[in-house]
Amino acid sequence: MQITFWGVRGSYPVPGAATVRYGGQTSCVEARSAKGECVIVDAGTGMRALGNKLMREANGPQKYNVLLSHVHWDHIQGLPFFSPAYVPGTRIAIHALLTAADELNSVIGGITRHEFFPMPLESVPAAFDFHQVEPGVEFDLGSFHVTPIALNHPFGSVGYRLDCDGSSWAYVADTAPFDQVIHKQHFLKGPEPLSADDKVSLEAMRDALLRRLEGVDTVVYDTHFLPEEYAKFPHYGHSTPDQALEICAEANVRRLVLYHHAPSHSDEQMDQIAARYLAKGEAVGIEVLTSFEGMTLPIGRKVDAPERTNPGVGPA
Amino acid sequence: MKIRFWGVRGSFAMSGREYLRYGGNTTSVELVTNAGERLLIDLGTGATELAKQLMGSEFGKGQGKLPILLSHTHLDHIQGLPFFTPFFIKGNEIRILGADPNSGSSLETTLQNQLAPHYSPLNGLENLAAGVSIETVRPPATISVPGFEVRTHAVPHGSMWTTAYRISADGKTVTYLSDVEYANLDEPPAEVLALAKDADLLIHDAMHADHDYELRRGWGHSPARAGVVVAERAGAKKLALFHHSPDATDEMIDEVVQRTSARTAVPVFAAAEGSYLDV
Ligand SMILES: [Zn+2]
Ligand SMILES: [Zn+2]
Ligand SMILES: [Zn+2]
Repeated sequence: MQITFWGVRGSYPVPGAATVRYGGQTSCVEARSAKGECVIVDAGTGMRALGNKLMREANGPQKYNVLLSHVHWDHIQGLPFFSPAYVPGTRIAIHALLTAADELNSVIGGITRHEFFPMPLESVPAAFDFHQVEPGVEFDLGSFHVTPIALNHPFGSVGYRLDCDGSSWAYVADTAPFDQVIHKQHFLKGPEPLSADDKVSLEAMRDALLRRLEGVDTVVYDTHFLPEEYAKFPHYGHSTPDQALEICAEANVRRLVLYHHAPSHSDEQMDQIAARYLAKGEAVGIEVLTSFEGMTLPIGRKVDAPERTNPGVGPA
Repeated sequence: MKIRFWGVRGSFAMSGREYLRYGGNTTSVELVTNAGERLLIDLGTGATELAKQLMGSEFGKGQGKLPILLSHTHLDHIQGLPFFTPFFIKGNEIRILGADPNSGSSLETTLQNQLAPHYSPLNGLENLAAGVSIETVRPPATISVPGFEVRTHAVPHGSMWTTAYRISADGKTVTYLSDVEYANLDEPPAEVLALAKDADLLIHDAMHADHDYELRRGWGHSPARAGVVVAERAGAKKLALFHHSPDATDEMIDEVVQRTSARTAVPVFAAAEGSYLDV
């Protein structure tokens, strides 16, 4: 199995000279099995370029599986620009948590409503089907075994562990840490005091995450904030690399990949973050990589595929 | 009057080395009068860049006032709204003016839908700390905005309508015709010509290169030559090609400018992210 990053940015796309090396597009990761099966995790703006690549590879209409962590704009905005959707005969299965929406098809359909996009979902040639996921309820997609994991994010979000070809990786985004703030179904102006029940819920969520991540080869984690930024916005629903490292160390993870970079972080800052956390990871025996658009990682200890880990030679 | 393009890209924000000279941000254009009054058109991702600059001024202290005109609510024109930081500072007064989409939904409902809890953690316009008013414009109404005189007209854009603007200040006029497609390129509607009449600068949808247009007729966007026809007929003094296709690299846009300039006496340039320009 291998994974490729098509969008690594959080919140909104950031074009420009300051982001050419790490990339400006939002959340989208492609997982490939040894047999060539593909699962797409999140449908942020990175999905446009992925779709164009899949079109070049495809021999006629295909079936695509898309796992959504949640439906904030930065995780779905690429969907209307996914070119295979405009090829008749294409099937797109969308797996997502039912959060604030009543119906998945109405919330996904809602992004292409007349006011927002010229073509409504019903007119798009591809056939869509929607599958509701539940944390802890495992399922198979071809040779991928998928485990949804509940995360701490406004109105709910779900991470995924994917097991395939004798190895595993996990996608843990978007999530806040599990101590100061609990995200529920309402808007937080700032951190709210935690009740005894809240503390129990947070602990249970953290324990379940640790159990699911135990021994996983590679974990891609929402590390939107630096610690000093997190201190100002603990209620925004994102984590720091330190918080991710703590979870990964407890779960005996081999490798952590920093992901969902803040739009304000320039390439120079990302270089500094990458160096700082590579060193911090070494101290606790975890390899820490910083994701960039075009990064491809073989999953598993046996490295027999070419590995691209340097954004300096990243795509244009 | 000065103008600055903060976002010139249509449909989709493009990052990468091939888009650096013209810029990859979706549409947002700032106008500033000699006296310093400010007006913004559209809230694409380009608006997030302007936001950073504004936060260093009175908007950072909650003393900013800004009218924003929306051409329509397709996502590339409102994508920057949830990240436009002056909205998060109490005391700022921001007006969003635009027509109701022709779907039966009002402008306010549409923007609320954009911020609905499943799509955005903001969970509604009421959670923006600034004073925000959503004002429905009914083209061809005239709008009064401090320092500017604004005329409007509804123009066809595929299955919907966009609002085109003619904005005058300091004796200069800018006409904004983004996301438009005329039934007959050689006969732009009379109202469009009236809106662009003698404009010092005409900003026009040029999503498609002329040779690509036939494949995309009816999709709601113009080829580069549509703006030339309007500029020539209306006597506009300068034409800015705008709303560049996400597929158009810097080199491709250079080529479109060259070809377009070769066929008209009207000075033509492609709108690019960058610095303040005199109108
Ligand atoms: Zn996100
Ligand atoms: Zn547009
Ligand atoms: Zn549009």
